[in-house]
Amino acid sequence: MNALPSPLAEVLARGDIWRGDALAELPAATIPSGHAELDAELPGGGWPQGTLTELLVERDGIGEMSLLLPALARLSAAGGWLALVAPPWLPYGPACVAAGLRPERLVVVRASRQIAWCCEQLLASGGFAGVLAWPERNIDARALRRLQVAAEGRPVFAALWRPASAAQTPSPAPLRIALETAADGLSLRILKRRGRPASRPLTLAVPRPGRNSRVVAGPAFSPVRAGSPAVKAVA
Amino acid sequence: MAPGLRVFERDPGREARALADLACAAGRFTPSVSLAPPDGLLLEIGGCLRLFGGVAAIVEAVRTACGEQGWSTEWAVAPTPLAARWLARAGARQSVDTVVELPAALVPLSCAVPGWPAETVARLQSFGCTRLGDLMQLPAAGLRQRLGHGPVDDLLRARGEVPDPQRYFVFPEQFAAALELPSRVEYAEGLAFAGQRLFAALAGWLTIRQSLVRACSLQLTHDDGSTSVLPLRLGEPCADEARLLRLLREHLGRLTLPAPVEALRLTADEVIARPGDSGRLFTEATAGEGTAACLERLRARLGEAAVQVLGLRADYRPECATVASDPLAAGAGRELSSAEATFSASHPLWLLPTPQPLAERADGPHWHGPLQLLTRGERLESGWWDSGEPDATGDIRRDYFVARNGQGQWAWIFRDAQGWYLHGVFA
Repeated sequence: MNALPSPLAEVLARGDIWRGDALAELPAATIPSGHAELDAELPGGGWPQGTLTELLVERDGIGEMSLLLPALARLSAAGGWLALVAPPWLPYGPACVAAGLRPERLVVVRASRQIAWCCEQLLASGGFAGVLAWPERNIDARALRRLQVAAEGRPVFAALWRPASAAQTPSPAPLRIALETAADGLSLRILKRRGRPASRPLTLAVPRPGRNSRVVAGPAFSPVRAGSPAVKAVA
Repeated sequence: MAPGLRVFERDPGREARALADLACAAGRFTPSVSLAPPDGLLLEIGGCLRLFGGVAAIVEAVRTACGEQGWSTEWAVAPTPLAARWLARAGARQSVDTVVELPAALVPLSCAVPGWPAETVARLQSFGCTRLGDLMQLPAAGLRQRLGHGPVDDLLRARGEVPDPQRYFVFPEQFAAALELPSRVEYAEGLAFAGQRLFAALAGWLTIRQSLVRACSLQLTHDDGSTSVLPLRLGEPCADEARLLRLLREHLGRLTLPAPVEALRLTADEVIARPGDSGRLFTEATAGEGTAACLERLRARLGEAAVQVLGLRADYRPECATVASDPLAAGAGRELSSAEATFSASHPLWLLPTPQPLAERADGPHWHGPLQLLTRGERLESGWWDSGEPDATGDIRRDYFVARNGQGQWAWIFRDAQGWYLHGVFA
């Protein structure tokens, strides 16, 4: 009889032992986000499919869509339908094409009141690969729960854009990320994910137009900003 | 005794029409349907048993379908049409599988069941024959002499000893079904039930004709004699009764009736041949209703303009480069592909529908704080071809810049003769 205790590493290698500091293994499908640092932090190694993802942004225009574009382009290239429900502005066709989205498979739903209903229909239909929705600020937990149920088990990437103030209220979405602008890109704070909580915020370099490094003076600026070093660099 | 009782006069014409509609609906179960007026339908199910998974299953399906349409049914299954009819009329609700078992099943039936002339039935009673079993024991030759050929031949047909060919119901070329409502309907939602009856007939007709419907219209006849038409357009052709009904409910939810409705009439306007489809080897989980059905429902509720896909147009004025197009139209979205070439990488993903004027201070334009210009100006001009037209962008002369404010928001702004405008957001 060998009653010797197994070495610790052997025990830890067993499939039924879960370590508290490891991310939960998700059988559900994910799609690579296109950012290696982010994939390492997301359970399953990418944006989850079949569950809600909440993205909390205070202001538009900080690169929040650019963060998702690699994943959306991947879905679109595979022939999937994408839906934008109540987007704040209209998508600009040529820019969508340049980002790799197929415009004829990008549905824009302009719903003023029935945003939650539309999302539920789109998620439950199973015919969409990606659903991005901008719900009302006061969407309640019950509606979110319904959306989560509608998305469950379907191969759909469901993202909800919510204001940063929603971070204080609980939500049934298994993944919640707050986005903020940072000096050199976009700062992501994972508020909630399956597995251990994330400790530090993540800074990603998302593609931005123009040249970030220096300020180019426009015609109107010449007299005002003539003294700034940036303008000297251009001149 | 029953103060709420409403008495209607019997109308053979309407009964016949209802029977024909029901025959149409029965097209879902078998292509060989024959009418047995005034109240019978004969369905030849021998060829469809495997498809439906047995006699019990098909009987249940037919009865459910009749029940959904508000008919109460008596049924029987037998190897010969006449025996099935007699058994059904006697309320037997049984299924006789082989010809051998037939005589035993017919024995207990009353002589009144076959619907022979009253005089014949009275004669039979005077012989002491009250059941078909008694009749079967008598010699046929003597019976022919006394009663004529009718009853004896009928018995032979019912027992399968003489062939009994049926005249099959001919499904009409064009589908149109009408329904008079038993009472006036004042609320649009109340029409859904009546619609279900019409859609069941349509679904049966489509199955038989191997077709799919793309557009149909429901004509409502109001009690003041006027009519209104509710067109129903499907995203993709289908023959599914439930889907048509869901679409109708969405439309009815938005409809206000000008006057109570008396009658409905459903016509299939656009019918296309059903493309062949091979079955799956392995059963796969159903994955929801699919893209087209979902879009169709959203469009029914929100209006067609609210659900669109993007289309491109070769125009360098940004507000003209994107057009909304019908998501379900074939080849939607791609007006041309060369438009992609005209795009440079510094254009934003979001565009404001109309440019928003920006406040200008001493240090330049402001949008949530002062904006820093990050690129040199990109000049976009011209557009003379639609200047002067209503709602057209017209001739423009703009210098576009990528700009960023202190909060890290990236904007696409332009300056023209009037001043600074915000036109896009780099999200």
